Amino acid sequence: MSSLGLSNLFRATPTVTDKRLTVIHPAVHDSALDTVGRHGSLSYTFKREGARTVLTHSACSSPWHYFPPTFLDDSGCAYTWLVNPSGGLVGGDYLTVTAQLQAHTHVMMTSPSANRIYRSEGKSAEQEIRLTVGAGARMEWLPEVTIPFAGSQFRQSIHIDLAPGATVVLWDAMASGRVASGERWMFASYENEIVIRTTAGAAAVERFLVTPDSVGTMVKSWDYVGSLFVVGDSVDLDRLAILESKLDELCGQQPRELLGGVSRPAVPGLVVKVVARSAPALADFLEAAWQNIREILWALPVAALRRY
Amino acid sequence: MDTRAFLKGFRFVDSFFPSGSYAYSSGLEAAVQGGAVKNSEEFSHFVLEVLTTGLGKREAVAAGFAHDAIVFGALEIAVKTDWELEAMKLGRELRMASRQMGRQVVRSAAEQSDRHPLIQDYLVAVEAGQSPGHMAVAMGLTLAAAGWSKADLIAVFLYQAATGYVAAAMKLLPIGQREGQQLLDGWLDIIERIGQDAAPQRALSSWSPVQDIYAMRHRQLESRLFRS
Repeated sequence: MSSLGLSNLFRATPTVTDKRLTVIHPAVHDSALDTVGRHGSLSYTFKREGARTVLTHSACSSPWHYFPPTFLDDSGCAYTWLVNPSGGLVGGDYLTVTAQLQAHTHVMMTSPSANRIYRSEGKSAEQEIRLTVGAGARMEWLPEVTIPFAGSQFRQSIHIDLAPGATVVLWDAMASGRVASGERWMFASYENEIVIRTTAGAAAVERFLVTPDSVGTMVKSWDYVGSLFVVGDSVDLDRLAILESKLDELCGQQPRELLGGVSRPAVPGLVVKVVARSAPALADFLEAAWQNIREILWALPVAALRRY
Repeated sequence: MDTRAFLKGFRFVDSFFPSGSYAYSSGLEAAVQGGAVKNSEEFSHFVLEVLTTGLGKREAVAAGFAHDAIVFGALEIAVKTDWELEAMKLGRELRMASRQMGRQVVRSAAEQSDRHPLIQDYLVAVEAGQSPGHMAVAMGLTLAAAGWSKADLIAVFLYQAATGYVAAAMKLLPIGQREGQQLLDGWLDIIERIGQDAAPQRALSSWSPVQDIYAMRHRQLESRLFRS
């Protein structure tokens, strides 16, 4: 049973069992069409070694391409790129990313470009992320925006378990479509679930299913929707208040281009929700937010990702 | 529904019930001040989108689970749903408003002359901090215990939310009582449909990002009539 199917699953628990999405074995299907799509997995285990976070285990299958983590600064953070050379997902694709961060590690995961979701008249493209963040560890999950093409079907779930003292910075954003081509809010369906759990049992959950019919006029004048979570039970409350104030300020700095709000979820930390009219406005916001998060929480500068 | 069951439930959805809902605009005040809602047409979009893909997919489904809790005598369904709402209501202002109103409902429901034992157990859990006490769960339990059907209690929950928006709009926008009633009249079919759609749902979800953002921005307003 899928862990996503909103319409047929009882999900009324923040400590929901971490069921994996169904992996359909091609052999049990008759039609060749049923074998369309790739089942690719990418998994990492990190540990702390001296001042650095190092990779102790990794596994990768197509379409994922393995890139060893790099050290872009002297923070010890392992900068890890999620590389899918095919550039996106087609219907029937089922991609997973799992990462285990052992105690006191620091990992930043990002992607080199937008995640494109191609048109599908059959199955959804699915992506499942499972991150376990050990005691005192720092996880930064900051991928590029997801672009659902016209007629595409996408389902994503991101589950993160935090040990005591662990912190996660999570960004997830979608575009309305290929905006530059005038293709806006024309995907078939887009399902997303983010679950961040602490050891105390509290959780922050964002879950939605949106179709062109249910986008709503309030959202339709915008082209990008994003969520930023900063969650961790060891975050100093004074620093959190300073960060909240700074993020509030950032949300108001591009009044015509970006609308955002900051609040405190039911777990220790902050949540920011934004809508934006352009990719640069969204990118500028994220860059500034990331810079403030690192500086205020950890006295660290942002690294030059050399993406653009 | 018999008259007694209707009246037992109606007491809790009547504006005379002291839930404190009059103090909340659920982001509308910030949206008005931000220029996103300037007239009744924009106000109607704001509310209907919350009802259809926001409250209608999350609180309405939660109220339905509360009905299940009464039918099956299973407190754990109500408590699990309550915690799921707690996790999903990411904005603190709306989360705390829902808890405050829910507690008013469940406390009063537990004091009824023919109170339901599961509601008393739920109140114990809420008072002990073992369940957050969200409005949708409290109202769902209360109306289900009164004998209301799942579809009816979901619809009236949504209707109550809609009247709350209209009451706030009459203070924030150039909307009079007659226009407010006309808006409510126009929404009845939609509320009925949302209630019917929500009743069989087994998962909570929510999509109303712009309304959520305005609810989060409310605490920054320099002058405020409402608490959310």
